[in-house]
Amino acid sequence: MENLVTANIKSRPTRTFISILAVALGVILMLVVGGIVKGTLDDYLGRTMAVGSDFILQPPGSSVFYALSDPGLNEKYADLVREVPGVVAVTPVLAKFNSKQFGLVFGIDWDTYNQFPGRLDIIKGNPSLQGDEVIVDQMYADANKLDVGMKTEIMNYEYTVAAICRPGAAVRVFLPLETFKERTGTPPDKVTILFIKAADGADREKVFAALQEKFQGFSLLRASDQNLLLAEAKMPGLNEFRVLIVVVSMLLAFMIILLAMYTTIFERTREIGILKSLGASQRFIVGMILKESAMICGLGVILGIVVSEVVRVAVVAKFPTLQVSMTTADLGKGFVLGVLAGVLGALYPAYKAARMDPVKALSYE
Amino acid sequence: METPFGNAIETVNLSMTYRSGKVDVPAVDDVNLTVKNGEFIAIMGPSGCGKTTLLHMLGGLLRPTGGKILVDGIDIASLSDAERTAVRRKKIGYVFQRFNLLPTLTARGNIELAKRIHGNGNGSGGGKYPDVSQIFEMLSLSGKEDFRPLEMSGGEQQRVAIARAVINRPSIILADEPTGSLDSRNARTVLEMLRNLNEKLGQSIVMITHDADAASTADRVIEMRDGRMLGPKSQFSFKPELERFY
Ligand SMILES: Nc1ncnc2c1ncn2[C@@H]1O[C@H](COP(=O)(O)OP(=O)(O)OP(=O)(O)O)[C@@H](O)[C@H]1O
Ligand SMILES: [Mg+2]
Repeated sequence: MENLVTANIKSRPTRTFISILAVALGVILMLVVGGIVKGTLDDYLGRTMAVGSDFILQPPGSSVFYALSDPGLNEKYADLVREVPGVVAVTPVLAKFNSKQFGLVFGIDWDTYNQFPGRLDIIKGNPSLQGDEVIVDQMYADANKLDVGMKTEIMNYEYTVAAICRPGAAVRVFLPLETFKERTGTPPDKVTILFIKAADGADREKVFAALQEKFQGFSLLRASDQNLLLAEAKMPGLNEFRVLIVVVSMLLAFMIILLAMYTTIFERTREIGILKSLGASQRFIVGMILKESAMICGLGVILGIVVSEVVRVAVVAKFPTLQVSMTTADLGKGFVLGVLAGVLGALYPAYKAARMDPVKALSYE
Repeated sequence: METPFGNAIETVNLSMTYRSGKVDVPAVDDVNLTVKNGEFIAIMGPSGCGKTTLLHMLGGLLRPTGGKILVDGIDIASLSDAERTAVRRKKIGYVFQRFNLLPTLTARGNIELAKRIHGNGNGSGGGKYPDVSQIFEMLSLSGKEDFRPLEMSGGEQQRVAIARAVINRPSIILADEPTGSLDSRNARTVLEMLRNLNEKLGQSIVMITHDADAASTADRVIEMRDGRMLGPKSQFSFKPELERFY
């Protein structure tokens, strides 16, 4: 049987097509931009976790994006941390973002860093790091055509490759802590972060509480689990940004549907009058408009999801360092939010249509 | 409620005054009209005398400013919009001068839609509807089921509109100049159909017309002037040409 809703959708193909495209665009924006943010964040947190610490200590008010803040933690605190019962390892790290190579660089203290599960797994060269030496991972070495003994420039200084380690460490480039401090103008007693490891048998919550007690006001994050890290991490603007993307995408779908359906009901004023003369209730008319918009949004969302997936595959192929995270749950969320935005956008037009005066509507030219 | 010999419609001092700007326009003034069950009446009168306004009130599309409208004994003037809509849905079928089919739907689609509206969203009404194909055959529309309004002649459109108006077996049909846009041959067909429906299904019909010939199809003709109903006029009992159709 022919259906009024589909007949109406088909009767204005251009309007329908453009509405579908706009909704799709919103979904693509939400999924792709959201996916890049999420993917990058996941990657970043994953790297932080790769050190294998239980806790990370930073100056008060720090965010989890430690590499972006100035090193403001006194290195001597490492000794205070060591005094806390249950702590087996502490290592100070000076982290900097190397914008030229688009990656993090760690200045590490060789001995204490290697007490962590994420210790460097040397596959070639000497397991040591001092002076103007650098250790890079296999991928970095391959990408920059480096081998043990060769010289390379990192953040405006020249270093000699002492060793090559297996990829999967926290970062791809490790420098000696003291050298890195000096060459970045960092005060000698300052580092970015302390990684802390609890003893295997220790009660982690107890250790955490003791650390909190000792470093009141400092940023102390549980790093044993990505969700914990994310939940406790203060990330200024990040959540707002993610919400903003969703809101903007939904607004796009909302507004285009509002506009499309609003013009549609005026174009169909007479038809609405006819429906009313046939005895159509307000609910029937509201339902008709909402179904039409839900169908348009549904098609738009499906198109958006398909295109997003294509974009994701293309982006990952073109820029391997860029991470795009798009789970089935994300797609499901995109679907629900996209259709919801459209239906919300159709509410006001539907209300207007339902409230039309039948006599005026019938005499509408 | 519906008694075989009762009144389908009864208005009591029915009035409608439009307010346009500061002037009051009394479009319908103190009309007392009774339409018996199964009666076919025609309303005539000069343009602007209030015929359409009256018909809109009878069908609950317009709320009067004064008086009562009893439809099967229920005063629809005192009902809410939603309740009046429900009465219209159950008891009334409209036929308009301009056919008013939905342009995006086929002939069949228009009729199916009326069924759906009658069922108020619960599939199709639950009741027994005349078979669409049968109706199309009756109205000599066979083969036009999948035509859209723009692909049909005025006469065909109006026949589809009549089919749509009667598909739910309303007890009352309100027709506003149903032949006004048709040539005399098509007009005659439409009138035959209305008469036929009236006689076979016992539907009460109120039809507005400017054409005395068309009016002669009815059992009774009511004259209106300046919003008022003139006293009962002679009944048209002579309908020789109709005899041929039965
Ligand atoms: N919405 C309105 N606002 C103000 N005045 C109106 C409105 N609708 C109708 N009128 C006036 O009410 C009077 C009756 O109008 P109505 O349409 O009922 O006449 P009619 O008898 O059907 O005329 P016609 O034969 O031309 O169709 C007219 O004077 C008209 O101008
Ligand atoms: Mg009129």
